[in-house]
Amino acid sequence: MRNFLAFLRRFRVFLVFAALQGFVLTIYFTFVAFPRTQFLTTASSINGSILEVRNDITKHFALSENNTKLQEENIRLRKLLKDSRFPLNDLTLSDSIVLEIEDTLWEQQYDFVPAIVINSTHGKRNNYFTLDIGSDQGVEPGMGVFSDLGVVGVIHNVSRHYSVVKSCLTKDINISAMIENSGHFGLMKWEGISPRKGSLTGVSNDTDVKLWSKVVTKGSSGIFPRGLPIGKVCSKSPVEGEPLWNIEVLFSEDYRSIQRVYVIKNLMKKEQAKLENQIPTDIH
Amino acid sequence: MNSAVTHIIRFIFFVLVQVLVLNQLEIGYGVQIMVYPLYLLLLPVEMNVFSLMLVAFGMGLTIDSMSDTYGLHASSLLAFAFFRPIVFKMFAPRDGYDHLLETNIYNLGFNWFIRVFGLLLLIHHFWFFALEMFKMNEIFNILQKSIVSGIVSFLICILMQYLFIRNKKENEV
Repeated sequence: MRNFLAFLRRFRVFLVFAALQGFVLTIYFTFVAFPRTQFLTTASSINGSILEVRNDITKHFALSENNTKLQEENIRLRKLLKDSRFPLNDLTLSDSIVLEIEDTLWEQQYDFVPAIVINSTHGKRNNYFTLDIGSDQGVEPGMGVFSDLGVVGVIHNVSRHYSVVKSCLTKDINISAMIENSGHFGLMKWEGISPRKGSLTGVSNDTDVKLWSKVVTKGSSGIFPRGLPIGKVCSKSPVEGEPLWNIEVLFSEDYRSIQRVYVIKNLMKKEQAKLENQIPTDIH
Repeated sequence: MNSAVTHIIRFIFFVLVQVLVLNQLEIGYGVQIMVYPLYLLLLPVEMNVFSLMLVAFGMGLTIDSMSDTYGLHASSLLAFAFFRPIVFKMFAPRDGYDHLLETNIYNLGFNWFIRVFGLLLLIHHFWFFALEMFKMNEIFNILQKSIVSGIVSFLICILMQYLFIRNKKENEV
């Protein structure tokens, strides 16, 4: 017993150090996997409000650039309106079906909530963005986030007024993506080297992947609608020892200057999840 | 001014500078500037290692909570606090430290500062990036990031001392 006490006294500095380290590392590894509280994140109300004040000052620095971006998006959407199309009178029947969209034939599946990024990083291994909307606006963990140019990430943690997005610039973001014109799909990852480039993994190397073909979301998990842009294929190389391509994707959104984003609410997510949960798991 | 008050004000200053300014400055090449270890270095020499670690713990968690790193800063700052007395002892001046003097670049000289703080900062940065990436095959990336960011942070720490701390020796002469 005395020896044990002597041991404790001798190594007390290291033991306190180890205990505190253990506490911190437990927090770190549990939070990176799945955050349970808003405590210790920017989603907490005090930290959120401090960052909001800062954003109130700094957001004006990129104001004109953001306005141009929004204007471009408006133009793109305006072009899709029926009013901006020239009515062709002598249409054959099949063409007129293409041009006219009947609203009652389509049910709304995705709803979008606008949000402002009040805090973001891009130089770390895992980058999280803080948004100025939270559960009061109906945001829940697991919802998708995108901007006018492309996919941004998935909601990671939510408080009443703020939410934290796990961005495309994190180690295990794993958005299911596909190459638009060939339809081959894989998972988006980020290697942590350049904030402009991610990688698409899991594409078999017997497929012909063309450079500069578009990479879009697959829309299988109901987080993102099908066909949201992610980026373009900028290089490919074979993975050693595996029949796969290692495809580098140039993100279409520049995450270093991101400000305005949309949160995606999938109104049919529960229906899909309910159906998919009925798949029996123990069949071998 | 009372030294406790000075240290409390400095605590707030370092946290705010780190979170509101330096976390937003992202230069590229994997450079991430972290200057808050300087605060821990400037705490009194005779302060015992337990309170040092508690301060490091508190400061780390405050910064973590405001930059979504969930404990990375706290963990690496704890390592800094743990190694501080050891490195201090290794590079102690011949007649020991003067407890009345702050351990800044003026009082102990540039050579001492570059060895002690350089080593501690490198430990801190390496710990931080190793934990952040946590993969053996990214070891070169970790080393590159910690050395490059270490150098930039170190230069800014020197600059901050020349800007904000008055040289008492010069005034006496």
